[in-house]
Amino acid sequence: MMARPALDVRDLVVGNGTLTAVRGVSFTVPAGGRMGLVGESGSGKSMTALALMGLLPMGWNAAGSVLHDGVDLVQQSDRAMSARRGRTLSMVFQDPLSALDPVRRVGHQITSVIRRHTDADRREAERRALELINQMKLPRGEQILRAYPHELSGGQRQRIMIAMALACYPQLIIADEPTTALDVTVQKQVLRLLNGAVKERGCALLMITHDLPVIAAMCDTVAVMYAGRIVEMGPVAEVFRSPRHHYTRGLLDSQPTMDNIALDGSSRLASIPGMVPPLHDLPAGCAFHPRCNAATDTCRMRMPELVGDNAACWNPVAALAELSAP
Amino acid sequence: MSNIGLQHSAPSASTPAKAPRRGTWNMSLVIGIGLTVGFLVIAIVSFFYLPSNPNIPNIRFRLLPAGSPGHLLGTDVLGRDIVSQLMVGARTSILVGAGGATISLLLGTITGLIAAAYGKIADEAISRSADIMLSIPGMVTALVLAATMGPGALTTIFALTAFFTPSFTRVIRSAAMSVLQEDFITAAKLYGRGRVFILARHVLPNIAGVMIVQFTLYFAAGILTEAGLSYLGVGVTRPSISWGLMLNEAQQSVGISSPLAIWPGLAIVFVVLGLNLLGDGLRDVLDPKLKPRAA
Amino acid sequence: MNASASLSVLSAPLLEMRQVTQTYALRRQSLFGARPSLKVLDHVDLDVRPGEAVGLVGESGSGKTTLTRILTGSERPQSGNVLFDGFDVWSADREKRRHFRRSVQIVLQNPRSSLDPRMRVGTSLLEPLRSLQIDCDHAARVIEVLDQVGLGRNAIERYPHEFSGGQLQRIAIARALMPGPKVLIADEPVSALDVSIQAQVLNLLKDLVRNLGLSLVFIAHDLSVVAYATSRVFVMSSGKIVEVGRPLDLFTKPQAEATRNLVGAVLSVEGGLAGTALD
Repeated sequence: MMARPALDVRDLVVGNGTLTAVRGVSFTVPAGGRMGLVGESGSGKSMTALALMGLLPMGWNAAGSVLHDGVDLVQQSDRAMSARRGRTLSMVFQDPLSALDPVRRVGHQITSVIRRHTDADRREAERRALELINQMKLPRGEQILRAYPHELSGGQRQRIMIAMALACYPQLIIADEPTTALDVTVQKQVLRLLNGAVKERGCALLMITHDLPVIAAMCDTVAVMYAGRIVEMGPVAEVFRSPRHHYTRGLLDSQPTMDNIALDGSSRLASIPGMVPPLHDLPAGCAFHPRCNAATDTCRMRMPELVGDNAACWNPVAALAELSAP
Repeated sequence: MSNIGLQHSAPSASTPAKAPRRGTWNMSLVIGIGLTVGFLVIAIVSFFYLPSNPNIPNIRFRLLPAGSPGHLLGTDVLGRDIVSQLMVGARTSILVGAGGATISLLLGTITGLIAAAYGKIADEAISRSADIMLSIPGMVTALVLAATMGPGALTTIFALTAFFTPSFTRVIRSAAMSVLQEDFITAAKLYGRGRVFILARHVLPNIAGVMIVQFTLYFAAGILTEAGLSYLGVGVTRPSISWGLMLNEAQQSVGISSPLAIWPGLAIVFVVLGLNLLGDGLRDVLDPKLKPRAA
Repeated sequence: MNASASLSVLSAPLLEMRQVTQTYALRRQSLFGARPSLKVLDHVDLDVRPGEAVGLVGESGSGKTTLTRILTGSERPQSGNVLFDGFDVWSADREKRRHFRRSVQIVLQNPRSSLDPRMRVGTSLLEPLRSLQIDCDHAARVIEVLDQVGLGRNAIERYPHEFSGGQLQRIAIARALMPGPKVLIADEPVSALDVSIQAQVLNLLKDLVRNLGLSLVFIAHDLSVVAYATSRVFVMSSGKIVEVGRPLDLFTKPQAEATRNLVGAVLSVEGGLAGTALD
């Protein structure tokens, strides 16, 4: 029998009555699996994350089903969700400074998460907090536990957030742009820690970001979102090596790489023309067709569906093998 | 910011594109406009038509009940028509409330902008002065003014200006400071625009919404304060008429339970409610953060 | 090395910083103690030649922001000189300072914040011309510049909130181009933009350098973006320039420790797929 997946999202729709930010998204994160959700602003990736955590802004509602730990998260009450957050699923946010309580010591914030969800007493919770801090490779752990969030650097704060997310051995961690606000040189250390911690505990990871290299470094599978839908999904190596959707290929081509640098000053990055369509004015058919150079009349009229591990595209990019065939 | 609890979500990713023109016509704006316009119309009509002279006593018709012929809401203890008094009272309320709010808005805008843009010393001087003014109880100021200048509409306007200006200064200062931190100010400085130009062309248009909303709210507060001062006898006096004065007279002559106290009381409630709803409604409409921003 | 790069090596610098040092006084620690100071820039030398694109990289806190402020003339250095076209910007006469103001323009990081939301785009574009009192056919110049950044004239009557982030950054670039500058200083011009839009704006900057013969100072924290857009890169760390070199050389043979850190921090899709990204 197969292990129950850490997260099984079916036909998730998120809207506020007039606008629909997520328009029918389905994906599965296997137990202990690491999945990436990649997209630009307006793609609906952050709304997806907030819906999974039951943290949607006022006026926004989710429909569909999100199976996790044997329950449908969409149907859960606020109280049940808050009892679950931090225990079976937890989240790492982009900005650790606003996610931490500024007037309470860091150590206290970690121990209160532990004591809320386990029956550990104060002494035991403090011991575990220190252990977590040490695992996060933060030197002088005791001192850090007594510090207030503003006394720490961005990288240190984000490690505290990860420590808090890991504190109760959750089945799933949702990380929403966890390193975007950090300095480049710190980004890699934080990713390394998150990666190690998740692997070691067998905890599943849903990584939400616009940064393709981060997905490539951290995830096994990836779902590419555009205008509220998943346009391509599959194993990271497959999707990134031979993308089938023109949007995925465009994203990959617009990354500055060594090749661009090695060329002389006249080299140009490939770029996707146009811009992400606003939610209230989505084009008919495939939402990407106005920016796609392979668009046909079919693309302009009918919305392509995502079937299995493929791309939601009427004229997918030819696979490399087909290209190189005589 | 309406979604304070969600600061963590990526600004690049989570701007959940506000609905186009959402809330342009909301309920509080409609009711607020209705009540406010009605109030203004009554005040304007009072210049051209009054059922009878509200200041001439007529002992024969004293204390007529509401619905009496020629006196829709009856008469007071000296036989003066209530409707006429209410209509003239509306005029006074506008004069005093709008006068106080306008002068404070002007003074507050000037001092607030100076505090925001002219360096630390100016800021400290203005902000601390505002603190001191706010720490003096308004009633003391009003009593001192009434004692030195004699009670009246003008005195009340001065008193309101003294109460409201420091609050306006603070609001304008903080609104201006947040605009001054924007990059377009940096850009304007870089191509050589001076402080006055930046304040007039960049800062003022961007805080106009705040100014309008604050004005309506302080207009309402001014009417309420004027009523309070007149009720205590340090505001408007005869031959001017104000709703607060009517309350005072109703209490002096027949006790607070008199139906005579109800009419000016209701007038005050509706006007203050109307202006507050208008202010809240305008806040939603004028807040640029609620504007759609997709092309 | 291509022809234009070798040409620019020969010509004299257009904009130059010589031995610039800047210290900020901090808050007093004790009532009578001396005010401690923080050296933000420490004897910095930097130069841009006509038509050359140079990059400036460094972690946050390395002094990039202060350097930008000094380079644009909005902050006066405590010691050292800023030279434009051979004259010292801070001791020059009125006419020369005006020339400097026209010739050095900046593009800021956040396009939403860098345009006044209550001003029509056309008015915003005219602002530099009006402020710097430049006489020319203003209307024609607006259309010409909008065309250079790839926007139509229908943008003129619209307000900033009607545009996307990428379009706004084009408008901000257009405004910087209005006075006909010789040097464009771009402070993190793409880091607030989406990935697919970043490439558009980077390409635009590159085209402007080539087609208009502009000099570009490109300031960013991401070495790979800077390396793509420029031909010579200055690496900054704790207020000092620790290394200068061609982008490829910095990637392949980084000398300074700060450069090695920045190079090591660059993640690539290929590295990630090979499983070596986080090693």
